[in-house]
Amino acid sequence: MSPDLLFQSVLTGLTNGFVYGLIGLGIASIFRGTRIINAMQGDFALIGGITAVLLLERQGWPMLPAFVAAVLIGGAAGWLLEVLLVRPLRRRGGTEDSYLLLTLGCAFAVSALVLYFVGRDSHALPGIGGEGIVVIADAAMRIHALWLIAISLAVMLTLRLFYSRTSLGLSMMAAALDPQGALTTGINVPLMRTLTFALGGLVGGLAGILVGPLITVYFDMGLLLTLKGFAAAILGGLANPMGAIVGGVTLGLLESIAIVTISSGYKDVIAMVILIIIMIVMPNGLLGRRTRKGG
Amino acid sequence: MPSTAAGTKPTLLWVAALLLWAALPFVATRHMVDLLVFAGLYSIAGLGVAFLLGQCGIVNLAQSVFYGIGAYSVAWFCARKGLPVPVGIASGIVLSVAMAAVVGWPILRLSGYFLALATLALGIIAQVLFLEWDWITGGTLGIGGIPFIEILGFTFDTPARFYFLVWPVALLLLVLHHNLLHSRAGLALRAMRDEPDAAAVLGIDIHKLKVQMFMLSAMLGSLAGSLFAHYVTFVSVDSFAIDRAISFLLLAVLGGVYTVWGPVLGALFITILPQWLSRLGDIHAFVFAAALIAAVILLPEGFGGAVTNWWQRRRTRRA
Repeated sequence: MSPDLLFQSVLTGLTNGFVYGLIGLGIASIFRGTRIINAMQGDFALIGGITAVLLLERQGWPMLPAFVAAVLIGGAAGWLLEVLLVRPLRRRGGTEDSYLLLTLGCAFAVSALVLYFVGRDSHALPGIGGEGIVVIADAAMRIHALWLIAISLAVMLTLRLFYSRTSLGLSMMAAALDPQGALTTGINVPLMRTLTFALGGLVGGLAGILVGPLITVYFDMGLLLTLKGFAAAILGGLANPMGAIVGGVTLGLLESIAIVTISSGYKDVIAMVILIIIMIVMPNGLLGRRTRKGG
Repeated sequence: MPSTAAGTKPTLLWVAALLLWAALPFVATRHMVDLLVFAGLYSIAGLGVAFLLGQCGIVNLAQSVFYGIGAYSVAWFCARKGLPVPVGIASGIVLSVAMAAVVGWPILRLSGYFLALATLALGIIAQVLFLEWDWITGGTLGIGGIPFIEILGFTFDTPARFYFLVWPVALLLLVLHHNLLHSRAGLALRAMRDEPDAAAVLGIDIHKLKVQMFMLSAMLGSLAGSLFAHYVTFVSVDSFAIDRAISFLLLAVLGGVYTVWGPVLGALFITILPQWLSRLGDIHAFVFAAALIAAVILLPEGFGGAVTNWWQRRRTRRA
């Protein structure tokens, strides 16, 4: 195989990797804040993506307001998920299995609603920087992909600063690590959990408008995105805030190497096999420190 | 109420149910009987998913894998190689059980979210492999010409006839399952679910037991898949996508995983409801999802649990 082809596939893998990383960042944030794995994180991306599509195509909104609205709708979806469904389940004594079934159910519901009201078609979102490309050492990369990488890194750094420097972020961490203790110091623990989900929704919505121009937006996109994001998150170690992006990029690169060496048809197989192996062999991920429950 | 009446009433109820069951294929439309056949097939596969969740706390999103293996074994051995029906069904079961052992051994060390998502990943892997390995599976074109099942010269070639094959098989499996739960193994299972540490102290090898149950569940999935292949006589990848595994889990949760016959209720629900809602387009997918959410929050024991509770309350009120 030519070095050009390899380099091109590395760039593609890198771009995909940041997408997985961004989804994984949302999953890891929600897990850190609530100890719940959110199986509808990929469907937050669908919500964000389809909102942007509808606003741009049917309402004729300009790009920036449509994108901002899409991200906010994603956040609102996270908020609603926690207040309307997760909280009642917690009150009735939710287990890991029941939270997973609940968020899976929400994922199916979102997917089914999009199918019912919008249809089966794939919708391409316009990329940031349009269709423009840059050429790096004979390999082409969309300007949008560069934006995607920059924004993902910015989100990661912002989240890190948010959780370590702001009092709201610290309160959210405290509420997750020691709910009783946090309550006694006057932290509104239920509100912190809601905000955690809203934050996850915002990150998911953002992922949706960033991934839309690459893989298009369609009703069925959520589940596989969730799984790959989850793979990214545990590859990086769920407890580590930087982890998801590192894990996502690793996964994306492994996938792209598999495509050029084996066959493009096996891309998802490779990702899923990696997911299973990582869970069994390296339960704390590449950068992991703390042991986690469940492995 | 006299005690004799109380004793005969349930028996009468059973006889009435049996008569209703036997009469249904003769009064219902062909399409409805077809749906009932699918409900029977899904009950068998869903039973496997349900007892894994109910007895071992395992969320299994990989039942489509074994359903597919069962169906493709039949297609391969009976349609392609012309071997007799029992060979196809048996080889499907052997392959599925072997696969469940090999895959289950490492994966069942996981628990909770991680196990559930690992099985979902398995389902996705199988979905791709069923498509890519088209030299075995026929890919999207599928494999046709699968023979009908024939027993003593009687061919199960119509929905009504197959109805009288699949439901007795399903009911037999339910009875066997009931007996399993009330045997020593069933006690071990319950101990494992409720007090895993105590069970381990008592010398129950929890991991081995889980793998064995996973193999049993795979067997049911494979059998259902084989019967499905003999019923529709044509298999293609669309029937074994991840949606199928999701619907097996859905029917188990909706029907209830703590009652033996819960999966039957769940299977009837998911096969017949889309028919009632068909005028509204694809809305049934949303109704299923909403039902799953509602069941998880409001009805953790499913329809089966709700009916049992209602029945018991009614009985205690009368007593």
